[in-house]
Formats: sequence, C-alpha cells, structure tokens
Amino acid sequence: MNVIDPRIHQALDGELASEAVPAELRHTVAQLAAAADLLAALPPGPAASLESRVMAAIRRPAPSPARRVIGWLVTPRAIVLRVRPAWSVAFAAVVAALTLFTAGDEGPELAEHEGIAQFVGRFPEAQSVHAVGTFNDWRPGSIALKDQDHDGVWRATVVLPAGTYEYMFVVDGERWVPDHLAERLVADDFGRENSIVIVRPARR
Amino acid sequence: MMRWVVLAWAAFLAAPLAAQSVRGRLEGRIPSAAIPAVDSLIQFASQEGLPTEPLIQKALEGGAKHATEPRIVAAVQVSLGQLRDARDVLVRAGDQPPVLPAEMTTVAWALRRGLPAPVVERVVAALPRPPRAAAMHAVADLVAHRFDPDSAAGLIIEAVRDGVPRERLLDVSAAVLQQVQRGHTRAEALASVRRELPNLPAPSKPRGNVAGARRPASPAPP
Repeated sequence: MNVIDPRIHQALDGELASEAVPAELRHTVAQLAAAADLLAALPPGPAASLESRVMAAIRRPAPSPARRVIGWLVTPRAIVLRVRPAWSVAFAAVVAALTLFTAGDEGPELAEHEGIAQFVGRFPEAQSVHAVGTFNDWRPGSIALKDQDHDGVWRATVVLPAGTYEYMFVVDGERWVPDHLAERLVADDFGRENSIVIVRPARR
Repeated sequence: MMRWVVLAWAAFLAAPLAAQSVRGRLEGRIPSAAIPAVDSLIQFASQEGLPTEPLIQKALEGGAKHATEPRIVAAVQVSLGQLRDARDVLVRAGDQPPVLPAEMTTVAWALRRGLPAPVVERVVAALPRPPRAAAMHAVADLVAHRFDPDSAAGLIIEAVRDGVPRERLLDVSAAVLQQVQRGHTRAEALASVRRELPNLPAPSKPRGNVAGARRPASPAPP
C-alpha cells in the first residue's frame, strides 16, 4: 500500500502554503487539488434522485384489491410441475376406470312421450322374476327384475311410452302373480287380477 | 266427396293387410283353434270403428297365461262388449262419432275399474276436450279407496274448472289419499283438498330414476 506523504495532506488541507511544498510534490498536490475541485463541481444528483424516488413510491396510493388481482392474473408466471411417470400412469388409470364405470349409469335419454316405470316385488325364494303385460305383448323375457343384493326384493326400472298398462309378474317362468304393491288392480277375465301401472311422461 | 272416396279406398286396401298383421301377431301365441274366432271379433271391432289393440292384447294375455281356447274367445268377447259400452257412454255424454279410439280405451278402463256409467258420462261431459285418461284414473283411484263415485267425480271436475292441468289430476287424487292416510275421514280429505284448489302439493317423485333405467326389448303401444 502506498503511503501518501503527510505534506500533501497538509497542502490539500491548507495547513501548508503551496510555496512551502517541496518541488517534487507540487505536481501531485496540483493534480489532487484539481480532482477535488472537479468532484466538488458535480451536482448532487444521485443522492437526491434516490431520495425522491423512494419518497414518490411511499406517496403513491396503494392499488385496489381488484387491480392487484388483475395484475396477478396478467403477470406471466412460470409454473414448474414435477411429475413422476408412475403417478401419471396411475392417474390415467383412475380417470379411465371412472369413465368406464359411470358411463352406464346415466340411463337412456327420454323422449317427450316416455316415462319411467319401476317394478318391485318381494319373492324370497324366486330364481327369476319378469314383468309381463300390455307393454311387451304379454311376452315373458323382455323385462327381467333383478335381486342384486339377494334380499328377496326384485326390481326393474324401465322406460316405457306414457300410457296405462296391465301387467303381472311371472315368477320362475310359470307362476303368475299380481304386483301386490300396485295401487290399481283390475279383473283379468281369466280368474285373476292384473295390476295397472300408469306411466306419466317424464317431460311436461 | 273426393276425400271420402280416397278414405274408403284406403280402408278397403288396408283392411286385408291389417287382418294379416293381426293373425301374424296371434299365431304361435294363442291356441291355433282360437285364432279364427278371435280374428273375426277383431274384424267386427274394426268395422264398428272400435280400437282393436285392446282385443289383441286380451288374446295375447290369454295365450301367455295358458288359458283354454273358449276362455280366450270369451275374454276377447267381454273386451269387445266393454269397448262398445265405452263408445255408447262417450256418445251419450256428447262426443260426436266417430269417437276417438284412445277415448274409448280410456272409458273402457274406467268402467272395468268400477266407475258407474253415469259418473263416467258426467266426467266426459265436464271435460268435452280429450284426453280424459288422467281424470278417469283420478276418479277411479278414489273409488277404489271406497270414496263415493259422485263425490270423487265432483272433486276432479272442480279441479279441472279451477285450472288444475290435466296431467296433474292424478296428484289431486293422490293428495286426497294422503289426507286419509294421515287419519282424516274421506269427507274431510275431499273438503281439505277442495279448499286448496288449484294449489296442490309438489308432484311426487316418479317411481324410479332414469339412471339405471333401460328399455324393454320390444315395447308395444298400450
């Protein structure tokens, strides 16, 4: 490290008259004095500018919540998603399974003149139960009831054209039984009673 | 005049085709010995302007239930008689011939369900414009629960006059039956629902849900 001659300090501080400065130091003193004059002549810009900028930022009113939200939304942001391939495959499998298993539950689209009829009967010992009536030309087989939870209660939900129908249940392919839950019964002219279902249009 | 000629020719040409179609539906479904008699009864109905589908259904029902040939023919004959009675009731009540087949079927249902003919006539006269199926079934539902037929018909006619839509007439009878289930007498139930007309409780949810519903293999029209 260079040590500045103390006489240069004294000359720059005015403690030593310029005539008293040794001749070999006069040139250095003159250069340093000129540099000091140059620095003193510079405007105090940077300090004032920083202060004014800070003050301006403080005085500026805070943006409204909506503007902040909009600003947040429109500001481009980088999103980094780290996914393990195994999880991607599992996710795809779950989506595929949900699509496959829920697609069949939506049921058919009903036309304006169509409605829903539900057939329910309790036949604990039955192997098969069918609803047979004027809706299927009294032909067993087209409407099979199911006992899915094996509690002896057989059910079927079918779409039929709106109207009035007579029907009976055929149990195990041979036993004709009226629907005891039906509120409407009518003599069938063959010595039994038919049940009546009124299918009301689903769309009114 | 020209229109009637065309219609007569159409009927003349269509009749043999319809007869073939009826025989085709009956063959293999009822004893073959019963087919000629049933077929001729169906031809009578057709010539009289009566609906034939209820007769075909009655024959098919007999065949499915393994009824004997005479019994099937007798049941179809009874059905033919009911349709004739239904047509007469409708004409007496003011319907102009030719009476609509659907209305004859409706009135035949009402008579089979135990409505007296004068009560049916009263309902028909009060509802000059078809369809009357909902009104007939609403009255029949009440009569089936031992309501006086005249009182039941009176309530349904009043509901129509008060502006209850026809498709909601079954909700009127359902509302009365609900009142009875809650412990009211029949007279109280009728009076209570009558007071509230044309307001009705929200329609009951349809039995079943479209989710999980399916169509039968080959549904036939009623």
